[in-house]
Amino acid sequence: MENLLDINFLIDSFPAIISRLPVTIGIAVGSLILSLFIGVATALIKIYRVPVLRVISAIYVSFIRGTPLLVQIYLVFYGIPKIIYYMQIEYGWLQSADVNSIPPEVYALLAFSVNLGAYLSETIRSAIESVDRGQFEASKSIGMTPAQMMLKVIFPQALATAIPNLGNMFISTIKDTSLVFIIGVIDIMGEAKILGSRGLAFFEVYIAVSIVYWILCIAVERLLVKVEKRARRYERGIA
Amino acid sequence: MIKLENVHKYFERQHVLKGIDLNVQKGEVVSILGPSGSGKSTLLRCINFLEEPTRGIVEIGGRRVDAQSAKKADIVSLRNSTGMVFQQYNLFKNFTVLQNVMIGLTSVKRIHKAEAKKQSIEILERVGLADRLDHYPAQLSGGQQQRVGIARALALEPEVLLFDEPTSSLDPELVGEVLATIRKVADEGNTMLIVTHELQFARAISDRVVFMEDGKIVEEGTPEQLFNHPKVERTKQFLSRANRND
Ligand SMILES: Nc1ncnc2c1ncn2[C@@H]1O[C@H](COP(=O)(O)OP(=O)(O)OP(=O)(O)O)[C@@H](O)[C@H]1O
Ligand SMILES: [Mg+2]
Repeated sequence: MENLLDINFLIDSFPAIISRLPVTIGIAVGSLILSLFIGVATALIKIYRVPVLRVISAIYVSFIRGTPLLVQIYLVFYGIPKIIYYMQIEYGWLQSADVNSIPPEVYALLAFSVNLGAYLSETIRSAIESVDRGQFEASKSIGMTPAQMMLKVIFPQALATAIPNLGNMFISTIKDTSLVFIIGVIDIMGEAKILGSRGLAFFEVYIAVSIVYWILCIAVERLLVKVEKRARRYERGIA
Repeated sequence: MIKLENVHKYFERQHVLKGIDLNVQKGEVVSILGPSGSGKSTLLRCINFLEEPTRGIVEIGGRRVDAQSAKKADIVSLRNSTGMVFQQYNLFKNFTVLQNVMIGLTSVKRIHKAEAKKQSIEILERVGLADRLDHYPAQLSGGQQQRVGIARALALEPEVLLFDEPTSSLDPELVGEVLATIRKVADEGNTMLIVTHELQFARAISDRVVFMEDGKIVEEGTPEQLFNHPKVERTKQFLSRANRND
């Protein structure tokens, strides 16, 4: 009798796939953190209408939104080493960098940060602008510096407002990291591919890996609900 | 204490303050009355440079700032010597009552946390909110929020307190507690500039009343002079119309 699935192979593939979770989570979380900096910077540039930078950041956001993630990953993976190499030869800069020793995870992290940063930009801008003007004025009136105002008063509230959107984008990013195997990163998807070709059981390993993604995303969603509740506790009518 | 000389403010083409001269002595309580749009809020906000005056001189506690050559340090100095109470309270919503009052002490005056806490609690006792330290603004009534706003302004011991319609957003039954707090603050000897539509209150609390119209100070004097014997026709009209609405 022909089996639809080799159940044993499927089950046996889990430990190896799960062992690569740190790679997937590392790239997703790492790029979330980096992209928050990019997102905040570009949002502030737009809010404060900083000359020149404003145009650059608008072009950046538009470019990222208008090109496929896959292409962006390739651009980073092939472009950065070339640029570094060019600088070394032409200007003698970055001599200590050994292009060949940069692990593909670094390119993946960069590509995802740059990508997510552009998407966060607009969300963060509108979250900052959703904090009422009055609190900006009150901070100024008591003599806080703009940096103190942003860090202590505005960002915490903006972040609380933005969490649902940030969360959705973060979950998309987790799923998008399944593309990184194309530049040689062995994440959970990469591992699944290796196992699949070794045992010629692709259907099984992709079922396994999809279950891992699914559970991961459910866990992150749960976590986000808790984080949001905590971040917005000041909005509710109880102490 | 406060000295304004020929202060002008334009918003784009609109001339909103048309040469304001005003002196307020130390410990004096001055109310500013006038119809909506006459520039009362703008005047108050020009004193601490929440709006930059287009030209003129703002002097507080001996520091003269010419609007046309104001530097960052001048603005910092003006903001440190003033405290402002807003119509919409403008409390920091992510901070508790205690944190709202403490923040100026810890991050602007750089006072040690324990000391800042002690001082803040004392001030909150003065406005009757020592039992609400850990509440967030969203958990307070409007009147309580405004008293926190007053405590926050008081915490930095500014030389001058600026009030912009501190009771105009409140439900009528909450106005009294806030007015009582403001009166207490006045009785403590603070120098205060109050924009208000509460005529009876202005009359009772003020050493001097200023009437503004169309970006100019039209008339000023003691409450007795202004309310009982207004000289200028516009002041008379304003007071009689306002009294009818009371
Ligand atoms: N930020 C601003 N930009 C443009 N115009 C402004 C701005 N703020 C105030 N104005 C204009 O300046 C004029 C004076 O406004 P202001 O708020 O000072 O009046 P007010 O006397 O405080 O009135 P109210 O009693 O209604 O509070 C108004 O015509 C108003 O529209
Ligand atoms: Mg006003």
